[in-house]
Amino acid sequence: MSGLLTLLIFLLLGSLLQTLLHLPVPASIVGMLLLLLALILRGKTPDNLQRITQTLSPLLPLFLIPVSVGIITQKPLLAEHGTLLLLILAISLIPGALVSALIMRKGGKSGL
Amino acid sequence: MTQLFSLPLFWAALTIAAFLAGQQLYRRLGNNAFIPPILTGVALVVSCLELSGVSYQTYMLGGDYLNQMLGPVVVMLAVPLYQFIHTMRKQWLRIALAVTIGSGTTIACAVLLAHVWIGDDAITRTIYTKSITTPVALAISDQVGGISALASAFVIITGILGALMIPPLLKLLRMDEPQTLGLTLGICAHAIGTSRALELGPQQSAYAAMAMTLTATLHALVLPWIV
Repeated sequence: MSGLLTLLIFLLLGSLLQTLLHLPVPASIVGMLLLLLALILRGKTPDNLQRITQTLSPLLPLFLIPVSVGIITQKPLLAEHGTLLLLILAISLIPGALVSALIMRKGGKSGL
Repeated sequence: MTQLFSLPLFWAALTIAAFLAGQQLYRRLGNNAFIPPILTGVALVVSCLELSGVSYQTYMLGGDYLNQMLGPVVVMLAVPLYQFIHTMRKQWLRIALAVTIGSGTTIACAVLLAHVWIGDDAITRTIYTKSITTPVALAISDQVGGISALASAFVIITGILGALMIPPLLKLLRMDEPQTLGLTLGICAHAIGTSRALELGPQQSAYAAMAMTLTATLHALVLPWIV
């Protein structure tokens, strides 16, 4: 449980910093970066954080279900643009995948 | 019955049950990346709401119990990110370039197409978050004036399409070395791509997980300023 407390404390710090500095970045992301910084400074991941990560990671999809169910509030929009949206999501993947793969390969050859 | 349906706890319990059913189905089908537990879970809950006629607002009184965990879970992403920084130090420059330019390309295409073909401002703002893992996408879409209910659908569909299209596409072009394929799946298809990578091999999955986390962090930092 002390791992969860750590996460909550960093989330709180993130909210605080976000409010104080009027950051447009979400509080949870600010908290994540603060925790990353803390880990870098500390030089290793404490056991309690390792444990909570192993516990919570498999449950991630569960926490995402409630918002995702909100799709039922978007029925008119999907009826109107659904096919087009699907097409856009499919097409836009191709150039993205090609560029990513090319950079990774070229980088490998030129020793980047 | 109506009384039961108005209890928040009922919907929280139903969501957990739907997730467990989704997980069972996923395992029974040999961890098939095209049927992620979240897809089954959402489909089951949506069907229950449709059948009972209960509104999303009423559902969310219970759904919010689970929803509240998203904040700590996003903070938790620092743990894998820290581990990646350690292990992938030697290739950091090309990984950084691939993540930045690759994810930028797919988003730019999607935003451009959405703008030209649909031209609805809220949809365009939402599509910016399509390539980042759902918890982060939801946090950002709120921030940039998108529709979070839609953001989640875009992310899940992108993930499934990416897991479906990317491995054969790169294979066709003979660019499917383990590191390249993993990285590309992580950049373009986030967590669902990463679970597909897990089936392909340990190198693919390590690179996918890293690319997914880096993409999410980068977009979380950049999108609120440019959208």
